[in-house]
Amino acid sequence: MGEVNMEELLNCALCPNICRCECPVLQVSGREAVAPSGKARLAAMLQQNQLNWDEQVLEAVSNCLGCRGCTIYCPFAELSLCDELLNTRLTARASGVKLAVTDPYISNLRSYGSPYGQKNWSSAAGEKGAEVLYFAGCTSQANHPSAVESARNLLDKAGLSFQMIEEDCCGYPAEVWGDQELARQLAAENRRKIIESGASTLVTNCPECWLTFTNRYPLWGEELPLEVIDGPTYFLKLMKNGYLKPGKSKFKKVSYHDPCIWARAAKKVDQPREILSLIPGLSVEEPLSYGECTRCCGGGSMFQLSFPEKAAAVAKRRLGEFPDQATILTACPFCREGLLQEGRQVFELIELLDSVCE
Amino acid sequence: MAEPIRTTLQEGSVKQAVIDQYADDVSPIIGVDNVSSNHIDLLSTCRDYWPVNSIWMLEGAVPALPQLVIWPQTTEEVSRVLALAHERRIPVVPYGEGSGALGGVVPLRGGIMVDLKRMNRIRNLDQENLLVTVECGLNGAIYEEQLNRSGYTGGHFPQSLRCSTVGGWLACRAAGQFSTRYGKIEDMAVSTEAVLADGTIFRGRSVPRTSTGPRVDQFFIGSEGTLGIITAATLRIWPLPEKRHLASYTFDQLADGLEAIRLFMRAGARPAVVRLYDGQETGNHFPELGDQRSVLILLIEGAAKIVHAEAEVIEQYVLDHGAVDTGPEHVEHWLETRFNISAASRLLQKGAVLDTIEVTTNWHNAHSTYLAMQEALNGVEGTMLASGHWSHVYPEGAALYITVVGFPGDDKITYYKKFWQAAMAACLAEGAAISHHHGIGLHRGQWMGAEHGQGLEVLRRIKNALDPQGIMNPGKLGLREVSKWEK
Ligand SMILES: Cc1cc2nc3c(=O)[nH]c(=O)nc-3n(C[C@H](O)[C@H](O)[C@H](O)COP(=O)(O)OP(=O)(O)OC[C@H]3O[C@@H](n4cnc5c(N)ncnc54)[C@H](O)[C@@H]3O)c2cc1C
Ligand code: SF4
Ligand code: SF4
Repeated sequence: MGEVNMEELLNCALCPNICRCECPVLQVSGREAVAPSGKARLAAMLQQNQLNWDEQVLEAVSNCLGCRGCTIYCPFAELSLCDELLNTRLTARASGVKLAVTDPYISNLRSYGSPYGQKNWSSAAGEKGAEVLYFAGCTSQANHPSAVESARNLLDKAGLSFQMIEEDCCGYPAEVWGDQELARQLAAENRRKIIESGASTLVTNCPECWLTFTNRYPLWGEELPLEVIDGPTYFLKLMKNGYLKPGKSKFKKVSYHDPCIWARAAKKVDQPREILSLIPGLSVEEPLSYGECTRCCGGGSMFQLSFPEKAAAVAKRRLGEFPDQATILTACPFCREGLLQEGRQVFELIELLDSVCE
Repeated sequence: MAEPIRTTLQEGSVKQAVIDQYADDVSPIIGVDNVSSNHIDLLSTCRDYWPVNSIWMLEGAVPALPQLVIWPQTTEEVSRVLALAHERRIPVVPYGEGSGALGGVVPLRGGIMVDLKRMNRIRNLDQENLLVTVECGLNGAIYEEQLNRSGYTGGHFPQSLRCSTVGGWLACRAAGQFSTRYGKIEDMAVSTEAVLADGTIFRGRSVPRTSTGPRVDQFFIGSEGTLGIITAATLRIWPLPEKRHLASYTFDQLADGLEAIRLFMRAGARPAVVRLYDGQETGNHFPELGDQRSVLILLIEGAAKIVHAEAEVIEQYVLDHGAVDTGPEHVEHWLETRFNISAASRLLQKGAVLDTIEVTTNWHNAHSTYLAMQEALNGVEGTMLASGHWSHVYPEGAALYITVVGFPGDDKITYYKKFWQAAMAACLAEGAAISHHHGIGLHRGQWMGAEHGQGLEVLRRIKNALDPQGIMNPGKLGLREVSKWEK
């Protein structure tokens, strides 16, 4: 994404790992090498030519979910460790070092524009030229098409004209895996299609896509010339403006899992709760950690593909924080996928909304 | 290409073939995923938060490297891996979360790093007897969070709460910020479970007090990995407090503040937090109060009626000693910022050398020890700041915590050694104890003889009896002759 900020990286390398209690990868692995400051030390050594790239180093500095759990207690306001690690990883390929496990996904991205090995184009839908463009993202399209269906239903129910394009991956996975060139190619392709669509507002329910469009595209020189809105804010607005009228829910007790990016990068913690408060008959109970202090589902930074066992372990740990019997709601395709374990019921907010709105 | 990593204190290592054989033999016992010779794992467990390690980090060096990292998950596994190491005379260093402040985990002779973080379960919460049995590798903040979920507190809040383990606390005789009410970790530990160098498992009994000979559990508390590995402990817990009262006062004279504390402790008040800062620290931490007066921070908690009564008793003593009531907001500020330690990283990058030196004084020498240590530190060329505060107070005395920051130019290590020599000499001359809660580790071992006299010989004999091969954390706790660091 950008240059490594050496001063901030060293602040972290010299820190006694104050945030280690909030780093999910460390907590499930117990490995110092993947502790926040541990990774910063390795990254700093790489930067200072005290360490050479090899697969073991890359594996360690790739062990970051991008969840920003470390920022909860981090005393350095300017530091974004996950971005420093990501920037560090971008130099590995030039040294001929990559993680073998990501090879097939990278090649999928090249062939299909999606890491999942299928084109996202089946969803091109709606009304060409409509003002609102709904961007589903590869993960929803591949893993959970019914959530995409729900979003479309809701837009229909609201009586709004909208469109969907033949999406390419937003490019973030390619960057996470260190292939900046590919990331930028995908971004350029998406940008071209988005501009061609003529839409003035892009709505996405995928936090990683949202963050990439709003924060990374400008850095990559691919800024989008339209408004990008996150799903929770957009659907809340439709409810408040009377476009969507929720009826009673079939669920009694629900608990909302804040996706890390919505909560900590976008600071969208009130919107989902407001949505829930507008649905009659729901009793909402918070999990142990919530809001900006939420804990990761294990799905950040494409972990479900690159480190599936670790992703599952992080999700399992997070599941232990929810009240028994509660149906878990979330607003991210990775979170839903991760938390669907141990017989828990997990839905996306838009699915719930779809089920209660006429 | 990067040069091979420079080690500064490595005193030896074990033949690689012996380590390889050991790795092969322990893998079936604890699982291959719990054994690593990955150079990244070795590099990542080779140091703790001893400031000298940070200086070396900035120079691209590490103190010493282990040869293998293992993660046992049960007490039985710890027993088996230690028995094998004992048989083959391979050095073993226990590793918690590496927040130790004195080089305690530095693997001077290479060997095996036993990372204990995969032993992190709460085994039992005994609500009737107010006890919890917890494994050594559990992170402090997670331990407290788990207790809070059930309505209890562990009462232990070191500044490193979020980056240290329960086992590390026990191994170092740690103190939390709320220690005046809840005690140090040794007061909380009703029993310990430990594995000796040869694999023998000791399990203490969680009964309140006994008259059955010396309490073996206590041998391990403070042993810093030199006598064995503490695998679990049964600790006291408390119901979450009903009421919390915050108060702060300023004094014209530091000595008046100390005297007021002595008297309210004598009267039986036990606030959880008592912190008296000198003018410099008052100015640094509470700039709105200026640096001319000393601020006293108090936090009293527990049953509402008791809290109310304690607050009244305390107020009487502090006002009698000329204090000015400065309200609860400074305590709120302290509560919000108490885990923030960003200054160290920034200063280190600017070329500073810094450390904190905590010692234990009685009341009669509390003030004079502060003055003597401050004078000694300021007398070392390069020192920019030598400030102090008291916290962790007892009826018989208190811990004095000195912060030193210097800009010595290039020869940072010489400066570091000089100011420590000066500080320890002043502390010992005043009759204070050389450490209250950070422990001895590698660095402070050189003053253990002066601290203990014949007591050190007793410790050495215990060490020789329990660890005849000397495999457990060699070179620490001042248990053997000078190390490379002291030369
Ligand atoms: C920012 C900061 C603030 C701090 N504040 C405080 C404070 O307020 N109060 C306080 O008391 N300390 C404080 N410390 C010091 C440090 O956190 C404590 O010494 C802590 O107890 C060390 O725990 P750890 O798990 O990090 O141990 P480590 O650093 O991993 O190990 C410390 C020593 O104990 C040994 N050891 C670790 N686990 C075991 C075990 N299970 N069995 C046997 N030996 C073991 C190691 O071999 C080593 O010798 C602070 C440190 C930092 C960096
Ligand atoms: S992210 Fe912040 S709190 Fe965490 S280790 Fe780095 S500097 Fe410390
Ligand atoms: S972003 Fe998440 S996974 Fe990465 S270092 Fe921070 S807490 Fe750990």
